[in-house]
Amino acid sequence: MATLAPDRGTGAAEKPLHRVARRAVTGAALPALLASFLVGALVLLSAGTNPLTGYQALFRGVLLDTNLPYLAAAFAPILGMAVSFAIPLRMGEFNLGGDGQLVLGGITAAAVAMAIPAWGLAGFALAAVAGAAAAGAWAALSVPLARFGRVPIIISTLLLGFPAVSFASYLARYPLTDKGTGIPQTPRLPDAMHLPALPASAYVNVGLLVAVLLFAAYWVVDARTGTGLELRTLGANLRFGEYVGIDVSRRTTGALAASGAIAGLTGALIVAGPPYRFIDGALVAPGYTFTGVTVALIASGRPAGLLAGALLFTALQVGGTGMERDVGIPRQLTAIIQASVVITFVLIVAVQAYRARTKAGAR
Amino acid sequence: MNVFTLGFVAAVLVALAPVLLAALGGALCARVGVFNIGLEGQMLLGCFTAVAVSASTGSALLGVVAAVGAGVLTALVLGIGSVRLRADPIVLAIGTNLLAVGLTGFLLRSILDTSGTYSSPDLAGLGRLGDTWVGSVPVLGDALASSSWVVVLSLLLVPALGFFLARHPAGLRLRGIGENPDAARSLGVNVGGYQLTAILVAGGLCGLAGAQLALGNVQLFSEQMTAGRGWVAVVAVMLGRGRPGLVLAASVVFGAAEAFGFRLQGLGLPQQATDAAPYVITLIALLLTSARWRRRPVAEPLPEPTAESSGGTR
Amino acid sequence: MTDIRVRLAGITKRFGPVVANDDVDLELRAGEVHAVVGENGAGKSTLMSVLYGSVQPDSGRILARGTEVGFDSPRAAIAAGIGMVHQHFQLFESLSVTDNVIYGAEPTRRGLLDRRRARERVAALVEEYGSPLSPTAIVETLPMGLRQQVEILKALYRGADVLILDEPTAVLTPAETALLFASIRRLAERGTAVALVTHKLDEVMQVSDRVTVLRQGAVVASPATASTTPAALAHAMTGRDIEAATNDEPGPVGPAVLEVTDLRADPVRVDRLEVRAGEIVGIAGVAGNGQSELVRAVVGLRPASGTVRIAGVDVTRGDVRRRRAAGLAYVPEDRGAVGSARSLSIAENLAVGHLRRGWLNPAKVRAFAADLMRKHDVRGAGPEATVASLSGGNAQKVVLARELEHRAPLLVAENPTQGVDIGAIEYIHRELLAYRAAGHGVLLVSNELSELIALADRVHVMVDGRFVASVDRADLSEQRLGEAMTNATAPDAAVTTALVPPDQGASIAADGSADTTQDPAITEGRPDGDARA
Repeated sequence: MATLAPDRGTGAAEKPLHRVARRAVTGAALPALLASFLVGALVLLSAGTNPLTGYQALFRGVLLDTNLPYLAAAFAPILGMAVSFAIPLRMGEFNLGGDGQLVLGGITAAAVAMAIPAWGLAGFALAAVAGAAAAGAWAALSVPLARFGRVPIIISTLLLGFPAVSFASYLARYPLTDKGTGIPQTPRLPDAMHLPALPASAYVNVGLLVAVLLFAAYWVVDARTGTGLELRTLGANLRFGEYVGIDVSRRTTGALAASGAIAGLTGALIVAGPPYRFIDGALVAPGYTFTGVTVALIASGRPAGLLAGALLFTALQVGGTGMERDVGIPRQLTAIIQASVVITFVLIVAVQAYRARTKAGAR
Repeated sequence: MNVFTLGFVAAVLVALAPVLLAALGGALCARVGVFNIGLEGQMLLGCFTAVAVSASTGSALLGVVAAVGAGVLTALVLGIGSVRLRADPIVLAIGTNLLAVGLTGFLLRSILDTSGTYSSPDLAGLGRLGDTWVGSVPVLGDALASSSWVVVLSLLLVPALGFFLARHPAGLRLRGIGENPDAARSLGVNVGGYQLTAILVAGGLCGLAGAQLALGNVQLFSEQMTAGRGWVAVVAVMLGRGRPGLVLAASVVFGAAEAFGFRLQGLGLPQQATDAAPYVITLIALLLTSARWRRRPVAEPLPEPTAESSGGTR
Repeated sequence: MTDIRVRLAGITKRFGPVVANDDVDLELRAGEVHAVVGENGAGKSTLMSVLYGSVQPDSGRILARGTEVGFDSPRAAIAAGIGMVHQHFQLFESLSVTDNVIYGAEPTRRGLLDRRRARERVAALVEEYGSPLSPTAIVETLPMGLRQQVEILKALYRGADVLILDEPTAVLTPAETALLFASIRRLAERGTAVALVTHKLDEVMQVSDRVTVLRQGAVVASPATASTTPAALAHAMTGRDIEAATNDEPGPVGPAVLEVTDLRADPVRVDRLEVRAGEIVGIAGVAGNGQSELVRAVVGLRPASGTVRIAGVDVTRGDVRRRRAAGLAYVPEDRGAVGSARSLSIAENLAVGHLRRGWLNPAKVRAFAADLMRKHDVRGAGPEATVASLSGGNAQKVVLARELEHRAPLLVAENPTQGVDIGAIEYIHRELLAYRAAGHGVLLVSNELSELIALADRVHVMVDGRFVASVDRADLSEQRLGEAMTNATAPDAAVTTALVPPDQGASIAADGSADTTQDPAITEGRPDGDARA
């Protein structure tokens, strides 16, 4: 009992590294991961494929040198969307409108960039900020809807996501379309507005740095500021937070706005990378939002778990693309594994809590 | 364009049926104290299963049965997890919804060898009542012209559920559990059993909804074809406060919005606007009714989702 | 020799390291009212839960009518003829009396509810029991006393011949209590075995035939009521003579820290309420008479009309945050759901009250928490432990530590010792008195008359949302307060003088009794109670 929960009864603080290590070993994450690979294997079997072939190809896809730039390129948006979902999650709210905010950010950035093509990278920075602001406002809209209209945030963010995607799709097809190509996309961004690539590779750009910086900021705010403490307190007990004097509506608005803004910024960053356009459906297709949500859920929004989870699931996703290329197994397998991790994780946590309860003699 | 034509009514009925079925399942769960947001994923799996089985067997009925089964199986995960193991029902439901998306996408490609949309001449649809003897019935026949027998079933379930809740002992017990599970438990009622059963029934109804959507409304499967209908159903449950008649009314609102949207497209409005319309209208409807409630004290609110109510995010 | 309906033999139950029941024996005989007494945390409720099947004992046997039974659920206990009236009523407020009574044992006809037979059976029971209940009334509309009758009917409907009542008088006025006791005696006369769980010794003397005293989970005495006294029982309950903290010296009183005028927040109608620095003002009343609503209105958790001034600042339109900024600290009634975040650490619970701005230094936070824990005697864990791992008393001390540290001019404390063991109760009382001595004002709302009598300088009695009496310290007694509650609820007295305006200077002339111990004379000889029968 002592090893499972050393924070009960000892006065000494547990070193953060020990805490992470302990959680990794005794926590539910590893067993959940293993269980999910089993689920994936079952699915493969049912589809008539040898699971070993599939997984071999999956790991090859991850470890292949040539895939490293894809890994890095996919990591940035996944990390971004994970942080986006994690912020409201920390205070107990679910922002399910990620796709809509992502897309809104992207199209806004593209639109603003089209208006100021001569401003170069600084101009795109402005456009990205505009994208973040638009997406942030759209997400924050659910707060007054919740406060005065009693619509739960989980519902309103989701419902608002659909019109956002539709609106961006409309813009990309009509007013902002690149005439002549016949494809629903905005014109290519001027070269000066392309995000500079990192020295290591042509495919990875500073968007990765921005994502990592955002994540670092999130970690600092969560662990070392009063705002972070307030968010976590609201997540633990909303009534307590209100009672103790936390400005609930201000924090909620801030959390949702930040969540949307980060999603929007991620969308803008994607647009500033190859192929340097907003293409209808292209931001949503890779499933960054999906992955970000699963990562954040498993980590319960905790920063350390977020980073580890994002790395893992990015590897999974990229590995899946490689697997599909090599042996033809649909890459949706990785989505199945990710979702299974969430499910098995939650179930294992519940079983652990159940065992702890019955041990203590409760009902 | 005349909204009062029976043709429009027919379109509304078809549009509302999947949402209504899912919402009735959700309503049952709500009355027994369970906030079920896994409707979307269960419906999607129902869509896929119905299409896959119908295409391979040539029988729409088998497709329906299989879809119901798929819904129940998915609901089993949610049910056992949240009721028996007391896992977080919101996260669990989000997980199953995501799993449904991944699973259907995968199986679409690996079993049906397609990506995007699958359709096949072997696919047996549910048929239109307008093509049967029902079509010749005055008024009613025209209204049901585009509907399948599943649509009629869904409408009949509304009074059936209401009757069950009001007049059957199990219905009374269910309502009591929703209001005060501790009191029900103290009187020896198996609270967990009722809740699990409700979740499973909802799963079956969602599977049926999916079958109607994929074999009745259209005859095909395309990725994420439920397009948020499961979530609209959740809203319908909230709007109707779990009462079958009101849930029907809420579903009618959605159905009308969708049917209306199709008409508007014919008038030249961009497809994107009419795609978005049903969701915006649903949201506005929820807003209007909620805002009105504020002036009257709410008797017993339906369970609302926060991570905190299920134990916090730590 | 009356037959033994139920016998508990050697019941032991542990919750983790805590032994709730330690080898307990108990016999419930037909026609006998058997009281089970003990302090908070002595194991009374656990024992009854074992008897009712909600909790499984670790060891021991249960025998019903001589045969050994195992109650793995309330269903089994109900089938064995055991009925329970819970302390917190287990009712469906939106359903009718009939639906509540038949729930779980519904009469059916061809598979559907037989409402006619249900109504008939409930009507028969109501008649037989002599209750004024209407079978079709919706429970939500009923006052506490009648709701309790529904609870009793539930048990009788299921043919209970063993009735357990868990702290039944906590929510009753003295008049309703008298009615309840009359009913209990009537049931006993007809052969029912009654178990009465309570910590009120005067009730024990009034209505029981036999008493079993529990202390720290074990049986320490089991005499016949006639052969013992309240003092002896109290001694057995606590095992020692407690030096209770009391308010002995009235200190200097300063300006008003709380001024409430014309407060209206349904069902509360308070014309004037004032708390000055250096005094403790108490609000007495049985639960459910508007105290919670009053507190929430004063604290800013619910809107109200009228004026509220804290430390001279008009905060009427302010929320909790504004009121705290003006000088409010608040210890809520529900420490688990409102007063703390149980899954967070003690340090975080304390920090969120005081270190919320800007940057957080973990070492500083920990030191701050450790310091506060030491100052306020929080035992059982270090600052990193979760609040959930603490006992009730220690968890309450954490809440108190955080709130007292604000050194706010006004402290509102709501049932601060509810569910807390006697040692912690003493400590908390001393803390409150010290806070008052330091020149702050305290508004103390409590269901426990003894607590108010020990601590308050002045007590307002609250009935149905209004102050019906204000009693100065000099005239404080259980009898005086109980009298005010009784007079106010009597229909003929409603129009007359019982509704004394809570003018701060006046004191009501008492009938001379200054006895603060349990007074059995509260309900004797009062004719107004008959109107209810």
